[in-house]
Amino acid sequence: MFSRSITSISRQSLRLTSLRASVRFNSSVSHKITPGSIITQYSSTAPQVRYTAEHEYIAQHADNVSFIGITKYAADALGDATFVELPEVGDVFAKGDSIGSVESVKSSSEIYTPIDGEVIEVNTKLTDSPQLINEDPLGEGWIAKIKAEVKVEEVEDLMTEETYEMSLQDEDADGH
Amino acid sequence: MLSRRSYSTAPALLKTPLYKLHESLGADFVDFAGYAMPILYKGQSHIESHHWTRNKAGLFDVSHMLQQKFKGPDTIKLLEKVTPTDFKALGQWKNQLSVLLNEQGGIVDDTIITKHNDDNTFYVVTNAGTREKDLKFFQEQSQGLNVQFETIDNSLLALQGPEAASVLQKFTNEDLSKIYFGNSKYITIPAFNNTEVHISRGGYTGEDGFEISIPNTISYELAQALLENESLKPIGLAARDSLRLEAGMCLYGHDLNDTITPVEGSLSWVISKSRREEGGFNGASKILAQLKDRSLVKQQRVGFKLTGPAAREGMEIFSIENPEQQIGTVTSGSNSPSSGNGRTNIGQAYVQRGFQKSGTKVLIKIRNKLREAEIAKQPFIAPKYYREP
Repeated sequence: MFSRSITSISRQSLRLTSLRASVRFNSSVSHKITPGSIITQYSSTAPQVRYTAEHEYIAQHADNVSFIGITKYAADALGDATFVELPEVGDVFAKGDSIGSVESVKSSSEIYTPIDGEVIEVNTKLTDSPQLINEDPLGEGWIAKIKAEVKVEEVEDLMTEETYEMSLQDEDADGH
Repeated sequence: MLSRRSYSTAPALLKTPLYKLHESLGADFVDFAGYAMPILYKGQSHIESHHWTRNKAGLFDVSHMLQQKFKGPDTIKLLEKVTPTDFKALGQWKNQLSVLLNEQGGIVDDTIITKHNDDNTFYVVTNAGTREKDLKFFQEQSQGLNVQFETIDNSLLALQGPEAASVLQKFTNEDLSKIYFGNSKYITIPAFNNTEVHISRGGYTGEDGFEISIPNTISYELAQALLENESLKPIGLAARDSLRLEAGMCLYGHDLNDTITPVEGSLSWVISKSRREEGGFNGASKILAQLKDRSLVKQQRVGFKLTGPAAREGMEIFSIENPEQQIGTVTSGSNSPSSGNGRTNIGQAYVQRGFQKSGTKVLIKIRNKLREAEIAKQPFIAPKYYREP
């Protein structure tokens, strides 16, 4: 009964506040941290990067300083970001707490921290330029910098890049 | 940050005659009133499609809406029973926004009604989401009246934006500069065997434009041919909603419902002067009393604006003097791409009497935080209708 496109809506629809947006899985979309960005430049060694099922990423450096943001997949699903609500420096969060939100014209989505820790810096550029979330979500569009209490490897339910991309393919394939 | 919605076995969605065209244009579809409708097309973000419509022209498929022709000697009698509008006074080939009323004065639907060549023939467009309810309503309300209902199984396209007229003009010999806002006409399309289409100047965006009712035999090809004009792009429901909100227009089921009277819905202007005197329409006693004594209007639809996060449907509104006191509820809300440099959020809400004046400061609870907002005049943008001089 369903044509292919319609089926793909029901497979991939993401719950947004008012309208349901859908994105197609696109294997050419990279979920790597942007090379040369503020995230990679923080230290001389590459950060450990992990992803959540809710499409946040965490890029953790050796001193546990971790950049948190949303993945390209999530940014594409949201569409044009119009406002980003940031946490405050000094806020202490437990894994799974909402640390802010990203809004598009028609929807709002919470951002949940993937790890316990204290906010040590927020990306204030997003206040004037929320579109950085769309242009470079894994670089200039980072949201918060958290001093984490543990290593990402020790946190349950976080995915490596490979597992995350496979989960997106699964999201594309399951359903019906 | 995004959570998945689990789908039970969804009923098959209906498709408009233009479904395959949307698909070929790379549309993403959503379920709207049981129809698979395009929300966004490939290559254009929501904001880009919004601005394109305000600056150039956008083509919207609104074929899911219910189009009917009402005929018969009692047609005006029926229309003047179910709406508060004077249809005797409406000129031929003129259309009018109105509301369908139940016996309690609540709004069953909003509608555009066009008088054709005589007082017995009207073209009536109502919403997709209320199709079954409206059909039943008209059947019930016309008991004992001589009115025939004919559902028009045509495609309906909305062509909106400052270049809408020049896009359409290329397809007809009819001089569109003589057809003003609120006028309707059958025109022929020479490139398609002189097929007749019904056009109404107006729309749902605040821009100049047309709603075009087209036989399904040519709608796909005509839409495709229109889109060859590089000023015109297909626009989905995402921008349709932000455009109509800026234009201060209601979305039935959100900003209006069966329990809201036109006075409460800030639509008193659809109640014609003659009908205020003679009454005789459904709910007239309640509605006319509200017009005379505003203290009977306990809540009213208003516009509001705020910066920061947008307020969304269902959010609670509180008094600034007494933040414990809920004084209203948001019914529609969105960022406004065309006002305040894209940093202003707008919306519609119902607030208690006393809080409805423009400039009144209120608080809206957004994700558990109270944010200041201001009651504001609608529309939020200046409409650009092509009015008769």
